[in-house]
Amino acid sequence: MDRRFYLDLAARGLSMPVGTDLVMHEESDPEQVRNDGAALGRVVERAARRWGTPLAIPLMDLRLEKIDLLSLLGVSAAGAETYHFTQPLDDAVLETLCGEQNGPRCPGTRARDTALDLNRSKDGLVPVGMAIGPFSLTTRLMADPITAAAMAGSGMDDAPEVKLLWQCLHISEAAVLRSVRSQISHGARAIMICEPTACTAFISPRQLRAGANLFERMVMEPNLRLKAALEEGGCDLIFHDCGELIDPMVEAFANRLHPVILSLGSSRRLWDDARLVPRDVVLYGNLPTKLFYSDSVMPVEEVVRRTEELVAGMRQCGHPHILGSECDVLFAPQAADAIRMKVDAMLSCVPAHSA
Amino acid sequence: MSLRSDLYDAILNGDAKKAHAATEAALAAGDVPMELIQESMVPAMDEVGRLFECEEYFVPELLLSGRAMKSAMELLKPLLTAAGQKMAVRVIIGTVKGDLHDIGKNIVASMLEGSGFEVIDLGADVSPEMFVAAVEERKPHVVCMSALLTVTMPAMKLTIDALKTAGLRTQVKVLIGGAPVTSQYAKEIGADGYSENASGAVGMVKQLLAAA
Repeated sequence: MDRRFYLDLAARGLSMPVGTDLVMHEESDPEQVRNDGAALGRVVERAARRWGTPLAIPLMDLRLEKIDLLSLLGVSAAGAETYHFTQPLDDAVLETLCGEQNGPRCPGTRARDTALDLNRSKDGLVPVGMAIGPFSLTTRLMADPITAAAMAGSGMDDAPEVKLLWQCLHISEAAVLRSVRSQISHGARAIMICEPTACTAFISPRQLRAGANLFERMVMEPNLRLKAALEEGGCDLIFHDCGELIDPMVEAFANRLHPVILSLGSSRRLWDDARLVPRDVVLYGNLPTKLFYSDSVMPVEEVVRRTEELVAGMRQCGHPHILGSECDVLFAPQAADAIRMKVDAMLSCVPAHSA
Repeated sequence: MSLRSDLYDAILNGDAKKAHAATEAALAAGDVPMELIQESMVPAMDEVGRLFECEEYFVPELLLSGRAMKSAMELLKPLLTAAGQKMAVRVIIGTVKGDLHDIGKNIVASMLEGSGFEVIDLGADVSPEMFVAAVEERKPHVVCMSALLTVTMPAMKLTIDALKTAGLRTQVKVLIGGAPVTSQYAKEIGADGYSENASGAVGMVKQLLAAA
């Protein structure tokens, strides 16, 4: 779509959380909804209507691509989360995992695609897809990805851990490509690519300063290819990274990936980041919603204070901005009411907009 | 002295091969294992922690140094065991029930080990019953719990309650951490301490034990 669509949303003062999980947990059996495309589609639509946004954003379930990938090796969905590769993969395994065709898909993936199908024809809704980014998926395939990445950054290319890291990146990119192509074929007009581990916890700024090209090779190159695949499918990139970032990372995401929306975590001050981001990239976020569960750490008055500070900062810098959460706002059973109340408080800090 | 400083430098620079080689050379020259740990390795990890606190080092450097430390410890552990020597402080660590995230926990475990503590890693998705059983069996000084999700944080309180019920709570210090966890939450659930990062966890363990 034309990038102006997103800029208009920001100009109209849209504010919204990534909050489909919250809405899903209003259902009597949320886990059933997660795997039922029709029910999930209704929940996604309800979330969009509730917050007056055309962006029909699905669950930020970053497990799905790993489950589908490992199912190609016969690993069950239940076992996928804790499954890690421990040694370099042989050619036959690599070939199996890197194919272009989708293999078996888990119920959650099928539901996500069906929900996109259902919402593509709904009035005033833009079906948005969701996928984990290639690097973040890579980090889920290894028991100790940080050490492997650090070894790669130190030039220990012959180490088996480093060889496995690159192999995992290769198969992750293939898996994410399969996922986004499927979502595009089901009607996604934008896809939120989530790279929360593309951050300083996994990629050392010290190594980058010393000249390591790790961030470029492990994060930027795969995501640039992903962006090209999205463009080829007529689909917009919404890029999300709630990890701790340094300025060159933000600049690279904003300028080179050039998403329509850049969503960052609460560790960033968006009004400062505006100088790093082209004006045709909408900034999204970034209230610390991960702390909304706690009334002592994040009382509603603090939510309001931070929201007002953010809104004022963004108005002052004049950068297109959609007020929202720093990540998906997850339901927490012990604090559901507190979280909902704070989401409402956050959204009430800006004048109502017309969706 | 230069072999010891080689070992110190190797750990500080996260070079496992050099750390292994320097340890081998020091032992061959007659160095005493516990002295190598106390005078070269622990100070190196302390410096790593300091560099992390001042944002000169980041998590990847912590892990590389921890890996170098481990490669040296592989040589020293059998010698310590044979001499009947034990690490002074034992820590049990795990990610709480329902939570499968283990990277943060692994980093803390690595830093604790690197700081000279004996670390028993129970893994991820550890139930309160498993923590209790491990405390009964291994008699640690400290229990560390990690949670990355708001939905799994209540398992920290359940574990502390289970330790109380089993009559073990007063025998151990309990330290918690993880992205959504705060010092306030630690107070609310009756933990002894909280740290927002791995380096801080090491300092907190030392602080808790000093105050005990």
